[in-house]
Amino acid sequence: MQATSRVGTNLAEAKGLALRLPDLLVEARRVATTVLAGWHGRRRAGPGETFWQFRPFVAGEAPGRIDWRRSARDDHFYIREREWEAAHTIWLAADLSRSMDFRSRLALASKRDRAVVLLLALGDLLAAAGERIGLLGLSDPILSRNAAERLAETLAHFDTDQPALPAALRLSRFADLVVIGDFLDPLDEIEARLAEYARHGATVHLVEIRDPVEETFPYAGRTEFRDPESGALYTIGRAEQIAEDYRKRLVARRETLAATCRRLGWTYLTHRTDHPATEPLLALHARLSARTTQGDRA
Amino acid sequence: MIAGLPLAFGAPLVLAALVLLPAIWWLLKLTPPKPRLESFPPTRILAEIARRDEQPARSPWWLTALRLLLAGLVILALAAPIWRPTGESAPGSGPLLVVIDNDWASARDWETRIDTARRIVQLAESAGRPVGLIATAEPANQEFAPTDGAAIRTRLDALAPRPYPTNRAAIAAALRSTANATGFGGVAWLSNGLGGQDAEDFGRFLESSIQAPVTVYGSDGKALLGLAAPVATADALTLSAIRGDGAAASGGTLVARDMRGRSVGEAPFAFKPGELRTDAVFNLPTELRNEIVRVEIAGQHTAGAVQLLDDRFKRRRIGLISGASSDNAQPLLSPLYYITRAVQPFADVIEPRDANAALAVPQMIEAGAAVIAMADIGTLTPDVEDKLASWVEAGGTLLRFAGPRLAAASADTDTLIPVRLREGGRVLGGSLSWSSPQPLASFAATSPFAGLAIARDIEVRRQVLAEPDANLPARTWAALADGTPLVTAAPLGKGWLVLFHVTADASWSNLPLSGTFVEMLRRISAFASVPLMQDSAAKTVEGAAGATLPPYRLLDGFGHFISSDPMARPLPASGAPVATSAEHPPGLYGSEDGFRAINVLAPDATLPPFDASAMSRAELRPYPTTAPIDLSPWLLLAALVCLIADALAVLWMNGGLRMRRHATASVILMLTLMHGFAPPPAHADAASDQFAMDAVNTSRLAYVRTGNSEIDDMSEAGLAGLARALSARTAMEPDNPLGVDVEKDELSFFPLLYWPIDPSSPMPSSQTLAKIDAYMKQGGSILFDTRDELERAPGSTGFGGTPAAERLRAMLSGLDIPPLEPVPGNHVLTKAFYLLEDFPGRYSGGPLWVEASPPEDDATAAQRPARPGDGVSSILITENDMAAAWATDPDGRYLVPTVPPDPRQRELAYRTGINIVMYTLTGNYKADQVHVPALLERLGQ
Repeated sequence: MQATSRVGTNLAEAKGLALRLPDLLVEARRVATTVLAGWHGRRRAGPGETFWQFRPFVAGEAPGRIDWRRSARDDHFYIREREWEAAHTIWLAADLSRSMDFRSRLALASKRDRAVVLLLALGDLLAAAGERIGLLGLSDPILSRNAAERLAETLAHFDTDQPALPAALRLSRFADLVVIGDFLDPLDEIEARLAEYARHGATVHLVEIRDPVEETFPYAGRTEFRDPESGALYTIGRAEQIAEDYRKRLVARRETLAATCRRLGWTYLTHRTDHPATEPLLALHARLSARTTQGDRA
Repeated sequence: MIAGLPLAFGAPLVLAALVLLPAIWWLLKLTPPKPRLESFPPTRILAEIARRDEQPARSPWWLTALRLLLAGLVILALAAPIWRPTGESAPGSGPLLVVIDNDWASARDWETRIDTARRIVQLAESAGRPVGLIATAEPANQEFAPTDGAAIRTRLDALAPRPYPTNRAAIAAALRSTANATGFGGVAWLSNGLGGQDAEDFGRFLESSIQAPVTVYGSDGKALLGLAAPVATADALTLSAIRGDGAAASGGTLVARDMRGRSVGEAPFAFKPGELRTDAVFNLPTELRNEIVRVEIAGQHTAGAVQLLDDRFKRRRIGLISGASSDNAQPLLSPLYYITRAVQPFADVIEPRDANAALAVPQMIEAGAAVIAMADIGTLTPDVEDKLASWVEAGGTLLRFAGPRLAAASADTDTLIPVRLREGGRVLGGSLSWSSPQPLASFAATSPFAGLAIARDIEVRRQVLAEPDANLPARTWAALADGTPLVTAAPLGKGWLVLFHVTADASWSNLPLSGTFVEMLRRISAFASVPLMQDSAAKTVEGAAGATLPPYRLLDGFGHFISSDPMARPLPASGAPVATSAEHPPGLYGSEDGFRAINVLAPDATLPPFDASAMSRAELRPYPTTAPIDLSPWLLLAALVCLIADALAVLWMNGGLRMRRHATASVILMLTLMHGFAPPPAHADAASDQFAMDAVNTSRLAYVRTGNSEIDDMSEAGLAGLARALSARTAMEPDNPLGVDVEKDELSFFPLLYWPIDPSSPMPSSQTLAKIDAYMKQGGSILFDTRDELERAPGSTGFGGTPAAERLRAMLSGLDIPPLEPVPGNHVLTKAFYLLEDFPGRYSGGPLWVEASPPEDDATAAQRPARPGDGVSSILITENDMAAAWATDPDGRYLVPTVPPDPRQRELAYRTGINIVMYTLTGNYKADQVHVPALLERLGQ
């Protein structure tokens, strides 16, 4: 009985998410557009479609590469080079569990909506840049201009009861992985999954999404707290008395995760839902582009 | 009633609910306050933190105690607790007779008595017993038969204490038959606390005629105070306060009031232990004492504690006049000396400043003398005699003493003498006489002297004799041993003529040396009434025996004046003592001019306390001294306070106070600010709208209000005169000029502002200066007028040097002002309407400053008749007092002469004004117009 109702609620939630997805997609487009202007190509010759430069023909090269139209204008042979547009695989993952479906009065959006917006906006950006993007554990990486829509479709088809950190089944070496979530699972579970990612050789970017209430803990008096995921109840006589402890513990968790990321060369980003979604997107974009340019130089 | 505590419960069964308190306690313990439920994703983190701080799922003990207290209070309140219950009972069974004394003595705590009666009636009604009510001060024909409680309560509501004693005897007689027929089963007598024969008789009657238990409510613990009739002595008015219970010492204050109720004086009194009567003395000036109409015991609201005073208690004023030469060197030989000494204890002496009787008599009459004593005046001039006669007829008492002059006067000529006198005197006991000096023998019984002790040592050695006639015995007030009259009196009109047949000094008798003389004069003084010169008023007071005195001001039972009482009857004017009753309640009878006072208590009244020993079977009870207090509302209030405290506590425990602190503060702040920052009322906008409409609907000239009304009026009149000139001579027809407040009003409606400079006005603020600057920059022109051409030092051509000019300079220093110059000869201003050489106002000679035009080369200047000023000068400065020159009254007369008084200068001033207005309105159009002939010529026409 309980399981049935659980499935039912999950389905309803998934439906709710699917219903919201077009809106979120639009929102993601809007957010992505504000960031897109700063997105640059690889800035080196390579396989690609867009023109990069003409360079003189060097003896020994395949004559078929000569650009005859350009070469007809003078006595030299030229070869048309295109900008390298090597696609990079970037995996995306968002925690869509119930704990993410939380929005306090202070927040602009629920954590899950913000996570989906971030995910889709990032997908849109990356797709526009020609990266291969995929939802870790849900879909294969695809290279397409409308990858964001397809990500949204995929999201709409899966229910929300996915694990917060999906298994690193198809994670490949040198791939980037962006995980968006609230990271409220027990620390050892998270650490285990991060270690798994590390073994696969991926570079992980963790985006921690927090509701302002979760950060500030503005509760007082006799309060009963309910965990939306497990349904566990916890009653406190004077909530204001433990606020300090709570905040310390939250910071400690964050420190632990951030330290792990630093150690592995990963990035860790926090975001509060009372801030606009462009902030983490910009930060992510900066980190991803830094990563790619760095990687290119290497 | 609970033993030891004056506490009783109206519904004691409810107290059984207190048993429920433990159950409530158990329930409260079982159900802790419900926490707020919050969905919180990081609950897992919380669970890791605070295992140690496990909150007990129970209410704290003090909250439980508070709630138990609340429940207990509610239960106690429902049990209807009464603090200090009164414990009345309705005695006996069957019909209950309630007898209530409602005379003046019961007025002191009337509310208590009526409340007691109501409670008794309530008790009887709840027991289903019919109730009969008797008010003993009411007439005997009242309703005795028992009826239901509602009717009795209505009668109780209508009952009021009467200002007269009870008539218990009559009521007892009337009640006897009803009592036998009804068979009352119980009697409650709410007595007035006064004893005496009447009360004892009534008590015995109640016991004997009604064979039923009797409860008597007797004393109420408060002493009953009364006020007896006053005694007017020489220098004081003395009143006796009496009381019924003489055990302890007590005291109080008497307050004397005049006719309008104003306090005239106060006198303290104090009872010694055991004393039932004590005196209080008013030491007041005679004029004030005569004002006293009412004396009351402060704080006592009964008719018995009030004494009303009428004319009898006023000190008489006695005028003295003597025919003897006023030789102050030998006062003992002056007759007036003896009269003065005799009347001083009880009357005021008016000694005329003038010895001339023709002047002295009117003086004394005017001073309100009740008695005029004339010592040995033989003849009076006819007009004085007429005056005296009319005064006596109006009620005055003329007291004459014999003497050599009177004896020598002709009996026929002197009319103001009660009896006809024989000419010459009679000498008794002289060396040439057989007779011996005669002693005083008798006082006539009808005379005011009746009852005076006859002093045997009085000897009359000489006297004037009356002609014996039939009237003489009736007119004799005092006679000597041989039967000859010593004092005779006759009425004249409403007054009396009294004659002492001896002198007022000791030369004819030793009467003036005796105490009898004083007493006689005192009696005469008391007998005399103050003459009322108004005839109509006098009639009502001192009328014939059949006349009556209507009630004028009556007392109610509480001693307050009331204007009318339907039961009151007029008082016979006979002066006989009147016992107060329903027909003659105490009060003032008569009219404003003369009245008689009737008081409740006789001069010898006593207030015996009620003696219950006469009633053997009766149960005697005191009145409750304090009303019972119903405690339920207070308990419910306390419960409400507990409830609020409980709510606050719960809120605090749930953290509500902390969470909503900001909200509460902001709500309070908002409520506070809502008063202070209410939106500005809309009429301010309406006023400025009206100003704009006025300014725009017609074209107007405008002046700046300086705040100095003289200058402002002159500006307005001047601009009005200019407007008339404009209307008459030009196409411009401006309406009445408008005063402008440069700080507040919008300036942009006016092409020209006339601004007289007042050096004493405050400097405009910087915002105002900015506004003026903007106005000038946007095309407005201001004509500043310093009005000080006369004050300027002769020969100075620059600007400044006078206070107004300096003020203007200071003002303009804050503005962006271009260079100025006196109007050059070819400026447009000289040609705008009239051709002008200079620009005079009231004064001539001061230049008109305008913005300097750019210099032009001589060649072009020679060709052009007018300088092409581009636009209009935004500033024009004159010192010629333009407005004063223009000012006219509505009839067109000039208000101020020009200096010098030259009609042509006035005309030029108007032309200047018109040119300035035209210049500001048309600008350089006029400058261009001068080219028209040349243009036409060029066109070949």
